[in-house]
Amino acid sequence: MRHFYLSMFLLLSGTALAQSPNDGIMMPQGQLCILGQYSNSKWEDYWQGETKRSNINLGSLTTQSAMLMGNYGITKNLNVMLGLPYVWTSASVSYITPQKGIQDLMVFLKYQAFEMEGLGGAFKLQATGGLSTPASNYTPDLLPFSIGLHSKTASLRAILNYTANFGLYVTAQGGHTWRSNTTLDHNSYIFNNELIYSDEMPVPNVFDYSARLGFIKPRYQAEVWYESFTGLSGDDIRYNEAPQASNKMAAAQAGVFAKYFVTKRLGIFAAVSQVLSGRNVGEALTWTAGATYFLDINKKGTEEVGKQD
Amino acid sequence: MKKINISYLLAISLGLMFAFSQCDKTPPENLPYDPYAETSLDANGGNWKTYLTIDSNKTAVPTPDAAGSAAYLTELGNLKSKMAAATAEEKDLAVWWGGNGVLRWHEIARELAATYNVPPNYVYDTTGNPVYPALVFDPANPDKYPRVPFANPPVASRMFALLAVAQYDALVTCWKRKFQHNRLAPYKNATDIQPIIPANDLPSYPSEDAVVAAASREILKFIFPREVANVTAKAEEHKNSRLWAGANVQSDLSVGDSLGRVIALNVINEWAKKDKMGAANNQAGLQAQRDSATARGFTTQWHSLDIPVRPPMLPAFGNVKPWNFTDATKATIRPAAPPKPGTAEFEAALEELRGYSKNRTREQQRITTFWSDGAGTYTPPGHWSRRASNLIYDNQFNEIRSARAMALVNTAMEDAGIVCWEAIFYYLLPRPTEADPSITTGTGIPNFPAYASGHSTFSSAAAEVLSYLFPSHETELRGWAQEAADSRVYGCIHYRFDSENGLVHGKKVGEFAVTRGRNDGSE
Repeated sequence: MRHFYLSMFLLLSGTALAQSPNDGIMMPQGQLCILGQYSNSKWEDYWQGETKRSNINLGSLTTQSAMLMGNYGITKNLNVMLGLPYVWTSASVSYITPQKGIQDLMVFLKYQAFEMEGLGGAFKLQATGGLSTPASNYTPDLLPFSIGLHSKTASLRAILNYTANFGLYVTAQGGHTWRSNTTLDHNSYIFNNELIYSDEMPVPNVFDYSARLGFIKPRYQAEVWYESFTGLSGDDIRYNEAPQASNKMAAAQAGVFAKYFVTKRLGIFAAVSQVLSGRNVGEALTWTAGATYFLDINKKGTEEVGKQD
Repeated sequence: MKKINISYLLAISLGLMFAFSQCDKTPPENLPYDPYAETSLDANGGNWKTYLTIDSNKTAVPTPDAAGSAAYLTELGNLKSKMAAATAEEKDLAVWWGGNGVLRWHEIARELAATYNVPPNYVYDTTGNPVYPALVFDPANPDKYPRVPFANPPVASRMFALLAVAQYDALVTCWKRKFQHNRLAPYKNATDIQPIIPANDLPSYPSEDAVVAAASREILKFIFPREVANVTAKAEEHKNSRLWAGANVQSDLSVGDSLGRVIALNVINEWAKKDKMGAANNQAGLQAQRDSATARGFTTQWHSLDIPVRPPMLPAFGNVKPWNFTDATKATIRPAAPPKPGTAEFEAALEELRGYSKNRTREQQRITTFWSDGAGTYTPPGHWSRRASNLIYDNQFNEIRSARAMALVNTAMEDAGIVCWEAIFYYLLPRPTEADPSITTGTGIPNFPAYASGHSTFSSAAAEVLSYLFPSHETELRGWAQEAADSRVYGCIHYRFDSENGLVHGKKVGEFAVTRGRNDGSE
């Protein structure tokens, strides 16, 4: 169950970033921001369907990831983002071999459709379209140890941001992710209490939304956020069984994020978040830390280096 | 680039949305098993050797009403009404059941096996310690977890075997009566009846479908007390499908149901209640098994790695009565003693596993998972039952020959489970991870000793029987068994010598079933 949650984490909570597909921030034209981050997510309790439980034969499950991401300002109003995570999982008690590997390559286009001054600040409306595809041949068939669901995805989201001139901002966003079927290593499984004779398993589409409230200045940024995602179809983990990619996974979580610019080009950040409620996912506590670095690809943007739009 | 406008972006987005909205959120269609016209009637099938002795006084059927009689004409009229009233869904069901009723019931049995193949989770007792709940069916509270029975591989292998034997014995009896009375199918007696499944020349009384439905229903009711209503409804649907299809009149079905039920009860009372399965979970006898192994020099013994310590899976399943040989045969075909922990040979086997544990390739993991057939699946016997079903369908066997094939394969697999369990608790060899806790596995560690491999024994027995039935597939079948055996080594839950000796053991078991097949009067 982790996995899905993990990919969502990378996509959404990883948000922490000064440049995620679902925040309200745009890179200026000609600037490239490189991000590197490490994330550690751990749970002991999880939800089997809607029933919270633990498994002393599993212990706690830890998912770690290292991700590189780039965000480039094609124009002031159009950014392109590319991300690639390396993921590894392990359990404290289980004898199952820990899994590791390159997960899914992600690409996003972010477009600022509208910007208006008002109420002592600025309103922005943005849209993001994204695609992801598995970047290695990892197995989706060893949950909760698998590093992902090995499904191709496409997503669309809308983002509304208001930033006051003195630095306070609020962002609300919602998105829909379509996910392709995944191919299992074995060729029969139970789906909705029916035995299916196939290795092809449906993976539910997902709707997510989040709200964030923060304060941003040239040298620092701080934020609190809440986000929720829910699978739009799928079945529950069965009694005392392992999760599978067809499960309807859902979670609500809250987090805090802080970023500090050491120089105009180099920023460091950290975030922590906690799953508050869920379905077929782990009750994960996640730590993230990383750094961003700004580069000018197009010299004319120099005077804007480090400026958060 | 600055000129990119939102309409362009929207067009791309909508294109993506359309492409992905095509992703189907329902699983693919299941086994088709389309109806086919059987090429051979096997008119002498009534003389084939049954598994149990059948008292022919109990299987006599009334002489059917003659073709021109008023009673039969009334039946034909009723059949036409049923056909005319059949809904589209009922016609689909007529086709679903019309392919091969024997295989459809095995498909239902595999789904039940997978659904019930869930080990009980621990619960906390009043002192806060985790303990395993008792596995007892409570009719007042049938949906309570853990569900009963726990359809682990031995339980599933026996269930598939009982089902197959009941179907086979019932069809042999049915064939005897069919060719005794020689009533033509309704569509041969009335030209205005056009069946919606292929016609054949098989006498229709008693109905082979009703016989299979009733025999299957009784066995599955016996094994799965919570499923009585479910399998009873399936049997009614199966019988009714013959009316919707235009393939049987009501008396074909009623008499067939009675006959199938009598034969299944014969299997239950004369075999299933006497095969010592009731004592297979004799945990109190485990210490005596340990003492016996110690006395024979097997001092480093298996222990459960589960928390809390889980009682081993059915330690006395090895005492259960086999189908194709005697109890005395078990000891004569038992694999030779495995290398003892601490010896160079044992250490070499362990060293091979350390390699897979540290660096299992993607292909080795795929093979491990493909054959894992663990909790929540139809078990290794179910995996091979599916393969057998597909071969039977591809070769368009008629019902009685299908039942014979399934009985030969599934009795061989239960026999394989029995002798494998006998050896497992004779040697009590620790699993690799108990011998070296640094060894991590590609699938769950089964909760019973290592030697020899159950997957290898089941698979080799099945491959042996299927190679006899489908000789042109022998290379493929033996390759599958080898891959199943290898999967347990790649997964680090068995030593290579577990799998190699399991394959040898299973082949011997399969040969007994083949010998039976060669002498059952069907060749």
